Amino acid sequence: MRDLLRPSGAVLAVAIALALSARASVDDAQSFALQAAEPYVKEGFQVREDYWGGDLGAGEKKAVRQQLFKGNEYWFWLGTEVEKAKVSVHIYDSEGKLIEQPDSWQKGHFAAAHIVPKATGSYFIIVTVEDSPEERTHWALVYGFR
Amino acid sequence: MISLPRLLKFTAAATAGLTLCAHAAEAPKHIDVKQLSRNVEDVVVPLPNEIFGALNKLGGVNWREYVRNDKGNNFTERPRIALLLGSVIADGFIAVQAEDAPTVKDIGQRVLNLAKGIGVGNSITPHAKAITEAADKRNWVNVRQELDRTQNSVQKAMNEVGDQKLSQLVSLGGWLRGTEVLTAVVNQRFSEDGAELLRQPDLLSYFHTRLQGMPEYNMKLLTDIQDALVQVKPMIDVGQGKISPDSVKRINEITTRLDGEIVTR
Repeated sequence: MRDLLRPSGAVLAVAIALALSARASVDDAQSFALQAAEPYVKEGFQVREDYWGGDLGAGEKKAVRQQLFKGNEYWFWLGTEVEKAKVSVHIYDSEGKLIEQPDSWQKGHFAAAHIVPKATGSYFIIVTVEDSPEERTHWALVYGFR
Repeated sequence: MISLPRLLKFTAAATAGLTLCAHAAEAPKHIDVKQLSRNVEDVVVPLPNEIFGALNKLGGVNWREYVRNDKGNNFTERPRIALLLGSVIADGFIAVQAEDAPTVKDIGQRVLNLAKGIGVGNSITPHAKAITEAADKRNWVNVRQELDRTQNSVQKAMNEVGDQKLSQLVSLGGWLRGTEVLTAVVNQRFSEDGAELLRQPDLLSYFHTRLQGMPEYNMKLLTDIQDALVQVKPMIDVGQGKISPDSVKRINEITTRLDGEIVTR
């Protein structure tokens, strides 16, 4: 019984270690996303503590659906710890129409999208790892509103 | 040696290059959202003050009318405590809107006690302290940030011990209290823009699905909330139409009843 438990204990330990290291990297990515958000805090944006994160291969996309309210102004900031990666973020309405403001930007491993919603409802935020030297690139997306 | 005209030309080219890099990558003007729907990440539930902020811009709201500083009951069932915790954090945001420092401080303590009740008090202690300090200084921006951090820390602590369902109930409790106050404000002085803030059908579906995944919490309150979400959905999922004053009134009655069930035995 003990022998049977030993390997599964080891597997569990490896699984936990892998999960922790994956989490740590998403947390690193989050710190870069927050770094992108920093200047906007001075402009009165409240940056949410909650965030989305994961990993993507080069050229892969991920969609995030978010409820936004007319009357507020939102920025979504994307970051990764892979400094040579290129990431982008764009906002679409529920019909799939690109709806972000023209001052949305992308600078290497940082990107941000800006929206002043004309209607309250669900919006899609599309995160893309455009290019990366890594097989999988961790990303984190935070948002703020005012 | 580089001549001045060449240097200027180089600087101009570099600046133009940087500017181009700084612009968003060319994105498709239109995407097929039906294809995306299968691969969408979890939602981040909006904070009550996200809605209150939008509501405030529609005209002065007398937030003091909605401040609640009920010490409330102490429960032992963890799902109830989680719902109540969300509701009390929402009360904190209302007290901040009203700039009511004593109530904000009381709420900070109440949140701490509730968090202890579900075994995550340790992660909340620094936030409760920060809420009190910021309220003393009437630094409302910091109080709002700390309330968000409080909710986030509670939910993180719950997730770490595998209690994701309780974490979702915290969000649900906050959403119900926020919706109760939103509908109360709009009901008092109806405007189409105010009512439009209720247009949250995906969020409702999200909560409904999560509740369906909690059969182990065999509680009448959770069944009542599920039934209520089904009732409310057609009132706010109106497509191109408008949300009517009657719907706002009805949703207020429903959320007031549910919140009453959350805070009392």
